[in-house]
Amino acid sequence: MAVAPRPGIYEGTRIPDPIPTVLQLDERLRERGDILQINFGPNHPSTHGVLRLIVDLSGEEVVGLSAVIGYLHTGFEKSMEQKTWWKGITYPERIDYVGFQNNELVFVLAIEKLLSLEVPEKATWMRMLLCELNRIHSHLVFLGTAALELGAISMFWYCFRERDLILDLVEMVCGTRMHTRYFQTGGLAEDIPVGFYPQAREFVEWMPKAIDDYERLLSNNEIWLERTRGIGLLSADDAIALGQSGPVLRASGVDWDLRKAEPYLAYDQVQFGVPVYPNGDVYDRYKVRVDEMRESTHIVEQCLDRLDGMHGEPWIADDRKVVLPPRHELHTSMESLIHHFKIVTEGYRVPEGEVYVAIESPRGESGCYVVSDGGAKPWRVKFRAPSFVALEATATCMRDALVADLIAIVGSLDSVMGDTDR
Amino acid sequence: MTYEGVPGVVRTKEQYGETTLVVDTPRLVEACLHLRDEEGFNMLADIAAADYLGWASGPEDVAGYIGDASGRSVSAPGSWGLKRLPEPKPKRFSLSYHLLRVGSDPARVRVQVWLDEAEPVASVTDVWPTADWHEREAYDLMGIVFEGHPNLVRILMDDDWDGHPLRKDYPIGGEPVRFSGEE
Amino acid sequence: MKPLKQYGLQSERVLGVGKQPGVFEQEVSALEDRLMMTTLEKAIAWAQTKSMWPDTFGLACCAIEMMSIVSSRYDIARFGMEAFRSSPRQADLLIVSGRVVHKMAAPLRQIYDQMLEPKWVIAMGACASSGGMFNNYTTLQGVDKIVAVDIHVPGCPPRPEALMEGIVRLHEKINAGIPPAYEIRGVAE
Repeated sequence: MAVAPRPGIYEGTRIPDPIPTVLQLDERLRERGDILQINFGPNHPSTHGVLRLIVDLSGEEVVGLSAVIGYLHTGFEKSMEQKTWWKGITYPERIDYVGFQNNELVFVLAIEKLLSLEVPEKATWMRMLLCELNRIHSHLVFLGTAALELGAISMFWYCFRERDLILDLVEMVCGTRMHTRYFQTGGLAEDIPVGFYPQAREFVEWMPKAIDDYERLLSNNEIWLERTRGIGLLSADDAIALGQSGPVLRASGVDWDLRKAEPYLAYDQVQFGVPVYPNGDVYDRYKVRVDEMRESTHIVEQCLDRLDGMHGEPWIADDRKVVLPPRHELHTSMESLIHHFKIVTEGYRVPEGEVYVAIESPRGESGCYVVSDGGAKPWRVKFRAPSFVALEATATCMRDALVADLIAIVGSLDSVMGDTDR
Repeated sequence: MTYEGVPGVVRTKEQYGETTLVVDTPRLVEACLHLRDEEGFNMLADIAAADYLGWASGPEDVAGYIGDASGRSVSAPGSWGLKRLPEPKPKRFSLSYHLLRVGSDPARVRVQVWLDEAEPVASVTDVWPTADWHEREAYDLMGIVFEGHPNLVRILMDDDWDGHPLRKDYPIGGEPVRFSGEE
Repeated sequence: MKPLKQYGLQSERVLGVGKQPGVFEQEVSALEDRLMMTTLEKAIAWAQTKSMWPDTFGLACCAIEMMSIVSSRYDIARFGMEAFRSSPRQADLLIVSGRVVHKMAAPLRQIYDQMLEPKWVIAMGACASSGGMFNNYTTLQGVDKIVAVDIHVPGCPPRPEALMEGIVRLHEKINAGIPPAYEIRGVAE
């Protein structure tokens, strides 16, 4: 797995000095007069949530920029220290609320790593399927809203139509459209209903045609190209220095995908490609995400093929100290009743230690650092949020940008404010 | 994976497939530069601060402590009455730098430093520019001061907020839940 | 204008039973002469509900579900509300969708103040109604601590249909002559 040769998008580095995340106004410009400082306040017309950008403009050019975040800091990490491990699974989903399954997954994987718990194969493949569906969901939301902001308004309706198809599938399996808490320690909360497979196959048949539709609308559209080509440049070296990952990094020419480099779940057993584009502009980030949607559909298909042979297999691990026993056993077995009682009231205990688990969420590397003291509640949970890091790159991307490009660039970095602020 | 050339390493821990290098606090930047330049860890994934106030301090405070100092306690089923104390920590705060090597030979390592209350640590913003916001967050939520940071101001909380919320002595806040049957 | 209960309304609105107007709707129309709304007031209320433009105040997860009511499946354009205005000066309805934290409380109040009367607020989701699952140092335990809320929509996040139910109930409230929440609570607009 080699790194693609680094193209020379620009010479040297464009990371601002001395503060890497703030584009500072050149004082000579201020003396010449006519600098307007405006506030892209927390309440945006563009639907990225509560990001605040303080922008210095000289005419239409952006000469100074700093991002202010924290308008959605909900205190997830401290709240999770108060809840047991089982109850805590409902929290990470709401951090990156567009790619919710991925956040659940990273927390559950961290707990399972600490517990050294074996997860049955069916659960692994279903988790992979749902995470890839979630990746498509996240990219659809990105595409719909980014296109909406740049003026391609009808894309919003097309993308959300497919998004509803995905959420129908998720609802069928997990019981609710978003924030499903379906991933539990040891596997899945419930078995997969049989009606899921034919509907998922229909979706897999339909999705590539829908993606073709989107590409036909946008990829060679002159207005789209004008607004996204050459905008928001970020070279590979700068991207790595700024800690970028995911589509932003791959659009800058670096072939890095955690699903290939450090496979988790069963990603080493499926065939898929990783799109890498060299130019590091908004157009390439869009192309990376559209191509990823295709690859994810292919992965979903392979997962369905595998799951077809696993009807009737267990969907959660058998370790009764951690996993709730099946309900029918509670009528007959005393130990099951005790286990159920202990798990529900006190919670299962996770051995002492610290782990860092990282997965490839739709936004990049999403990580979870968990410290356990051996008890029923986590001691410290920290989430490495890819959107937090993506917004660090705003100052670098927005050098030599015009006001209208600001929206395109912020949209292409695809940051979700819940993830940024946690 | 051996990390013998890294300056300042006090202890190495291998657990769950992860390598943790505990580094002497004054030599942190040296160690990071070595890891970036010699070993090729070109990306800083995360800086995670943890507060260990109240760790292993007594039977009531820490959830993982079964039993009490005098002997076996049979009130904890499944523990056979044995005491289980979490391993004591050297200082109050730990700061973990999760490093990643992006390239053809992926690797991860965790560099950890331990800090006391109000002990400052050098900023690694010159080594990896992405540390900027991570260090601001550690300062904001945990109160760890980074020397040499170009812009150490609060990032997630209000600018005039008092206190550092993620510390263990900071209350969870919120409202007490009122139940309708109570009054 | 008093709450409808004081005019003698007994029933609660029941979801989706049949296509005929339910007991609630029949009672409301029976109360019309006791409410003594003039034709002009009824016409104004009708006009206010028929194209009530929401403000783009999406904060968190509920915002994604709020965006999906604009989508073609849960079409809100049939109520004339697909025009989400970015400027609060042009909006009638503030759907607070998502958790409001301490830092965001001031901008929220500023946006609410900028809206022109009559204005309505829907607290969408558990976090906006009561702080949701986040009972901590930074989340406002209910957005009705700072703005006057007309309708609370439960759910985490509420389905798009649930939000539409909230919006439809708001329309019914307005048609029944109930004034906006800031008037009922007597708080500043």
